Amino acid sequence: MAPTLIEDWSGHDVTIGEVESELARLRATSAEEGANTQQRTSVMTHVAWVPPEWLDAAERTLEGLAERHPSRTVILVPKPEESESRIDADLSVRCFAAADRAVCGEVIELHLLGDRAMAPASIVLPLAISDLPVFLRWRGQPDFAGAQWEQLVGVADRVVVDSSEWDELRYDELSSAFERTALSDIAWSRIFDWRVALAGYWPGIREQEIRVRGPRAEASLLRGWLAAQLHRAVRPVERAGELGVRLGGEELPSPRTEPRSPSDLLSAELDHFARDRIYEAAVAAAV
Amino acid sequence: MIATEPNPLYEGLQIRRRPSPCALVIFGATGDLTQRKLMPALYSLAYRRLLPERFAIVGAARTEGTDDEFRERMKDAVQRFARDPFRQDVWDELAAGMRYCGLEFDDDAGEDELAQVLREVDAHRGTQGNRLYYFAVPPSAIEMLVREVAERRQDDGWVRLIIEKPFGHDLESARHLNELIREHFDESEVFRIDHYLGKETVQNMLALRFANGIFEPIWNRQFIDHVQITVSESMGIEGRAAFYERAGAIRDIFQNHLLQLVAITAMEPPSDFTADSVRNEKVKVLHSLHTPGPKSVVRGQYGRGFIEGEEVPAYREEDGVDPVSETETFVAAKLYVDNWRWADTPYYVRMGKRLPRRETTIAIQFKRAPHPPFAEAAAEGLRPNVLLIHVQPNEGMSLAIGAKVPGLGVSIRTVHMDFLYGSTFREGLPEAYERLVLDAMLGDATLFTRADEIEEQWAIVDAITAAWKRDRPSFPNYPAGTWGPPSADDLLHRDGRSWRRH
Repeated sequence: MAPTLIEDWSGHDVTIGEVESELARLRATSAEEGANTQQRTSVMTHVAWVPPEWLDAAERTLEGLAERHPSRTVILVPKPEESESRIDADLSVRCFAAADRAVCGEVIELHLLGDRAMAPASIVLPLAISDLPVFLRWRGQPDFAGAQWEQLVGVADRVVVDSSEWDELRYDELSSAFERTALSDIAWSRIFDWRVALAGYWPGIREQEIRVRGPRAEASLLRGWLAAQLHRAVRPVERAGELGVRLGGEELPSPRTEPRSPSDLLSAELDHFARDRIYEAAVAAAV
Repeated sequence: MIATEPNPLYEGLQIRRRPSPCALVIFGATGDLTQRKLMPALYSLAYRRLLPERFAIVGAARTEGTDDEFRERMKDAVQRFARDPFRQDVWDELAAGMRYCGLEFDDDAGEDELAQVLREVDAHRGTQGNRLYYFAVPPSAIEMLVREVAERRQDDGWVRLIIEKPFGHDLESARHLNELIREHFDESEVFRIDHYLGKETVQNMLALRFANGIFEPIWNRQFIDHVQITVSESMGIEGRAAFYERAGAIRDIFQNHLLQLVAITAMEPPSDFTADSVRNEKVKVLHSLHTPGPKSVVRGQYGRGFIEGEEVPAYREEDGVDPVSETETFVAAKLYVDNWRWADTPYYVRMGKRLPRRETTIAIQFKRAPHPPFAEAAAEGLRPNVLLIHVQPNEGMSLAIGAKVPGLGVSIRTVHMDFLYGSTFREGLPEAYERLVLDAMLGDATLFTRADEIEEQWAIVDAITAAWKRDRPSFPNYPAGTWGPPSADDLLHRDGRSWRRH
């Protein structure tokens, strides 16, 4: 169900203090105007680092996400190439019907122009809701050596990437963040059904020849997982449009998969808090 | 050697343990429960791939019919009542393992035919002789089915029984049934179902109490003034006159659902979450329960009245009900748990039909602040803190606290901090039957009622109904659409308390 946009506000060259006070005003206004009782509910602060070319996709994902994970969402849109340094803000309070009341979350979209894109952690920290976890969704290929990645990894309890969005599979650089935060990859959650299916071929799979083909990220992670868990070499992946596995020369049937939207996939990742050692081992073996 | 090693590919896969292959035999397969609850639950489990890989459903009922007719009826039930969208591929997989056997339960030939169908299922579906029997039948048929199933028990595979309520009609009959079952089956093979225990909010009560450090230290007589539990239904007896005339509210709701809610609220922390640890603690509560006397129990029966603006008949005017029936449709009681934690802390409980709305709630009312400095300002508005657990509908909980009304003066108003499942976890809650049927397949009896629990529950009911036999009630004594007879209010007023405002 799409949310009802109750109130919004846009500001040019704003401070975080102004953002906070406008949010408070929007909440108060929405509570006055709503026909039902409005309830602000949050289970996390959801930070999204969204370069402009990913903004449409991020907003589509967000529409389906907020209902399942009510949160304060902070979308950071970096525009470091702009000559002027400032923050522009679009704020909204979005509500969903829930029983006899409406549940509302806040979306804070901040366009970070010029130098203001260089220190994103200092923008996130005052906006994060106390005592709740901070999830960071990094859209596109991270610059693993960049200050933004370094800073945001430092403030997030969990970082979610999607390596299928990357131009290059730089898993070795990704793995250097494993000791600093819990990391997960939406490409990894896409291969879940294949992992369940392949587990059913134990113990034969331990000895048989395995050939994995498919989209680069998913196939590499599946291959890495098999190699890591079975402690054996697995042939390099072959590129293909869909995941497929040949075991002992036989093509395996594709597992029954549930069609999952980008929102569903991200939601599933936001349900986990702890480090996923199996994923980390798969990434290490996929390098 | 290799086959005995743990499968490393399952490591880290967060999937529920799948039950071993089995055949689920449903006695009473054409009944309402099967169509409204069991089949939709099985479909939801299939939808989430939680059923065993090798699985079959064998429907058994007195009605003649074919496998295909059974499948069609069950498909219709799934399409009408399942919480998940209908998917042909999921249904085809489930339906492929469905068989039907029309038989009289007391007919040996029929039972032999059922045994033959099960052997065929083992051969074709690989169910390995494992059997889960679901007795969705009237109480009168249970004894007979226990014997029939026991007689035809094979050496290979496991056998488990799921037995629907009511389990007996008094302590003596429950003991008799337990003894009969014990002759043939181990307690670990018996799953007495009370679907309230499968509800998320009931389980969340355990999470609330034992996963949060702030509640348990104040969960006792020192801080809690009293507890109120309400199980109200707005509907009437919905054509179940034959059953309800014998059972009444005390056997339909009080003996099982309500006493389980009391037990879960009052129990001590179990040492772990295994079936016996949890049930040991619940039994201790039930064993300690008593009512202080006949005046502490109120019974009622609804007369004509209005529900949601529509006039509804009196209980005695319902089809199949004796026009001078003395069956109670409402019970309210004051209970005490005689132990160190709860001594002198009353549990007020009430349940009934044709009450203003459907609601199951547990309200923990804390003692007032010992010396509120704002007594004058708060005289009208300030009420004691109440932790309210909504079991159904709108599952969740809320905490009533006093807060200062913004302004220059000191004015205190009661406000609610709410946690609603529906607004925090925006996912459909599983139906209770999904959880319970799956647990029975896995052999996990934590959320099922043990023989000694059932007997303790009946002992309490017998103590109450023994007093009722001595006098004739003046029924009807509350109009449909109200919160029961005035004597239910008096029960609390005598103690200087009142039922929660709705």
